[in-house]
Amino acid sequence: MVFNLRNFIIIFSLIIIILTGALTIYSVTSIDINYFIRFLLISIFVILLVAILFNQLNLNRILSFGWLAFLLNILLVLSVEIFGAEINGSKRWLDFGFLSLQPSEFMKITFALFAIQYLRFYNYKFTQLRTLFLILVLFISAIPIIIQPDLGTGLVYIMLGLMFLFICGMNKNYFIAMGVFGILLSPIIYSFGLTTYQKGRIISWFSSDQNLSEKWNILQSEISIGSGGLFGEGFLNSKQNEFNFLPEADTDFIFSIYAEQFGFIGVFIIFLMLGCFIFFTTLFTMTEKRLTSDLSPYYIGTYCTLVIGFSFLLNILMVSGLIPVVGLPLPFFTKGGSSLLCFSIMIGLIFSSRGFLK
Amino acid sequence: MKDNKIQIYRDRTKILLGLFISLLFIALTRFFYLQIIEGNDLRELREQNINTFEYIYPKRGRILSSDNVVLAEDRKIFSLAVDLEQKPSEEALILLTKLFPKRLDLDELRNKVSESLRYRKSQIILEKIEQADLAKILVRSREIRGFSIIEGYEREYNSHPSIFHVLGHMGYINEPDISYFTPKIENFNPKLWQKVGKSGIERVYEEKLQGNHGKRFFQRNARGDRRVTTNLAPFQEGDELEISINFSAQKLAFELMQERKGSVVVIDLEDFSIPVAISTPSISANDLKDISTAQYQDLLNDPSRPLFNRAFMGLYPPASTIKPLLTVLALSNKYTDWDETILDDGFFTFEEEQRVFNAWREGGHGITDLKKALVESSNPFFMNLSIRYEKEEFVNFLRSSSFGSKLCEDCYPHQFSPLIDDSWKFKNFGKELFKGDFINLGVGQGYMLTTPLHLSLIAGILAKKGTYQLPHIVKKNETILKLNKDLSEEDWSKVHNALVDVIYSPNGTGYRINAGELNLAGKSGTAQVVDISSREEYDEVRKNPLLRDHAVFIGFAPYDNPRYSIAVIVENGESGGRTAGPIAKKVIEELLDGF
Repeated sequence: MVFNLRNFIIIFSLIIIILTGALTIYSVTSIDINYFIRFLLISIFVILLVAILFNQLNLNRILSFGWLAFLLNILLVLSVEIFGAEINGSKRWLDFGFLSLQPSEFMKITFALFAIQYLRFYNYKFTQLRTLFLILVLFISAIPIIIQPDLGTGLVYIMLGLMFLFICGMNKNYFIAMGVFGILLSPIIYSFGLTTYQKGRIISWFSSDQNLSEKWNILQSEISIGSGGLFGEGFLNSKQNEFNFLPEADTDFIFSIYAEQFGFIGVFIIFLMLGCFIFFTTLFTMTEKRLTSDLSPYYIGTYCTLVIGFSFLLNILMVSGLIPVVGLPLPFFTKGGSSLLCFSIMIGLIFSSRGFLK
Repeated sequence: MKDNKIQIYRDRTKILLGLFISLLFIALTRFFYLQIIEGNDLRELREQNINTFEYIYPKRGRILSSDNVVLAEDRKIFSLAVDLEQKPSEEALILLTKLFPKRLDLDELRNKVSESLRYRKSQIILEKIEQADLAKILVRSREIRGFSIIEGYEREYNSHPSIFHVLGHMGYINEPDISYFTPKIENFNPKLWQKVGKSGIERVYEEKLQGNHGKRFFQRNARGDRRVTTNLAPFQEGDELEISINFSAQKLAFELMQERKGSVVVIDLEDFSIPVAISTPSISANDLKDISTAQYQDLLNDPSRPLFNRAFMGLYPPASTIKPLLTVLALSNKYTDWDETILDDGFFTFEEEQRVFNAWREGGHGITDLKKALVESSNPFFMNLSIRYEKEEFVNFLRSSSFGSKLCEDCYPHQFSPLIDDSWKFKNFGKELFKGDFINLGVGQGYMLTTPLHLSLIAGILAKKGTYQLPHIVKKNETILKLNKDLSEEDWSKVHNALVDVIYSPNGTGYRINAGELNLAGKSGTAQVVDISSREEYDEVRKNPLLRDHAVFIGFAPYDNPRYSIAVIVENGESGGRTAGPIAKKVIEELLDGF
């Protein structure tokens, strides 16, 4: 690893994000120092583990297990149906005692691993058959996630999967076709494919009735963000959290609590750090002079970077009321083992990708 | 080929990166908007969410009689409300309906609970829980979760009906109340004053009795749990009020009236307070508390008008009881003296108009002077006197004896006796007063109407020889008033002697009162309900009890050092001396015995 300015910015911004996330989690979860330490240790440990592991091993060997990882993940998602714990009318979690996992979180990694193994085999030549095959695999593998039922994660999974295929060079006509198809199909999906809970979330987005609980959540989230003002209320001073006005303050809406504590300045710093991290990481990978014929590591690295970036974006757009509430975790902020593990693995993958490290 | 792939990779990464950066910029703008532009408003909303307060309702002041009987006081009551902090279990609901099968319905209860929780607004499940029932709930508090017990107050009155009209009653505030109280009470907040005094002392002394509301500021979380009480604005209980009513005399007076309609008003001449003021029939003030609209309408439509306060509102012809007062005018203006005599043969002929007025006693009183006219109540004598009254002098005299003005500041509702002058008659009949009118006015009939309170005051004016104050129930009116005519000490004692003779001389119209050692002075009267011109007609009219004459009596005692003045009116009681007089005697006896 070379220590130059760019690397320094990337590492520095990542450390700031992880540290802030851990601190915010600490401030939200009944001020438990153990939680803070555990959160920090897990992320650092996993990042280093994955980075070193992938760096030391032959990429060919790792990627040859892509299909296995993907299949195993699908099985895990399905097993949630049988063994999973139910929350909010949907089953998403597998309880391992020390850690409860949401296997669907990992699908976005394992699908990429599977796809890259598949494409690599054909030297990234997209024939119509291969393209349709990959799209089909993506959509079919999304079904277990959607019927859990977790529409949000499912849709995000599909979109990120498509983004991966986009990065890998799939013909853009397919995207246009799918876009048109998706818009035409959406009324039918809404009528027949959604549960009341899911419909409720969508209806509430368009409704002006402030009494609807979904709308109320968004309002409380906006109140929380706005109360921060320019400088924020100070660390551990979130009243919205103290008085429980913000539901799911430790998961989906954690950023609102952060915004209340640290104000617009805090928000700006995090956005800056995130922007720096995503921009420099991607740019660095992209402008690597020694790009070889095997682009696999770059695809993976860029994909993981953008997944982190867009996950972050979707969450903050959601908590600030710009897009409907879909249960999306905020990378390195959300309390939840699976998302922390998932994003740590991704960071590990980014670091281990050849373009970055050498 | 290889370069192409790299190019595609780079191009597409740039597109995605561009998308990311622009979305990040949009998000930043959004946060800028929320935090910098809307920040203060949103923080305000947050504070409103968290910081709230509730009013602490003060206990309304007690009302005590002058003999220390509690006439009205606030009693603590309990009600059961949905507690927003925890959802009651289905078992709790079933248990509650089992405990109060008559008052609760399971489905209704379920609805109230779910509505309360949905709108975060606690609803009352049970009102006015008795102590025993409260115990039932408290014992099972482990099972009956999700409900809270709310303390409140309910006005409880002395249930004796004699006291209702003076005390008045409470009711839910309405528009007229708001416009009535707004100029009278500082910091009046109609939203807080849920119930207000509708009449009587309760209304007049609303501000004193009400006390001040306190405020309990607290912070609460999203579920409505109270977290921290941050501040407390202490409440102040309403002031206790002692009123001049002597409850034992009041009760006695009411009972003496039996089933008859009428009123008794006594004024204590030491300070012109009112120890007795009753109006019959009456109800218990407690009966108005949970009354239905239909029942209330029935009371309003009752022909005996139990809600009408005759003591302060009822207008009756004073009849012969006005004679002693007019004597003061007649002597002072030298319209007559103690020596003038007339022949009373039972009627009076007004020659100017060729009209004949019948007097109450057939055959008349014979040769009659002023004293005899007072003692035996000769109408012809006073009618004869009436035609000498000068209009201006007559009206001014009546004005100085408080006709046409408010008598009592804290009697509510209140009606003053109309001052019969030209403008009054013009307003009501379109004509001016003419001589013939004075013949009726001179014997307290015709247009002349007085309230029982005023009659009692007139007795007091006579007892106090022309100097008086306005009566009161709580707050003394210090203004000293005087008749505009004065008599010599000798004339005053002659007037008093005549009034004593009314009671104690065998000829006196009040002799049958048997006043004994009470030393009562007084004057009886019989007020015609309908205008009758012949004696035959009179007997016809008597058959209908509602058209019978009203019995009127005024008096004061003891006559040598007057302490109480009294007026008694018994509607359709016919003879003032026989019906109204004995009531006056017993009430004053009760009052004097009390000391």
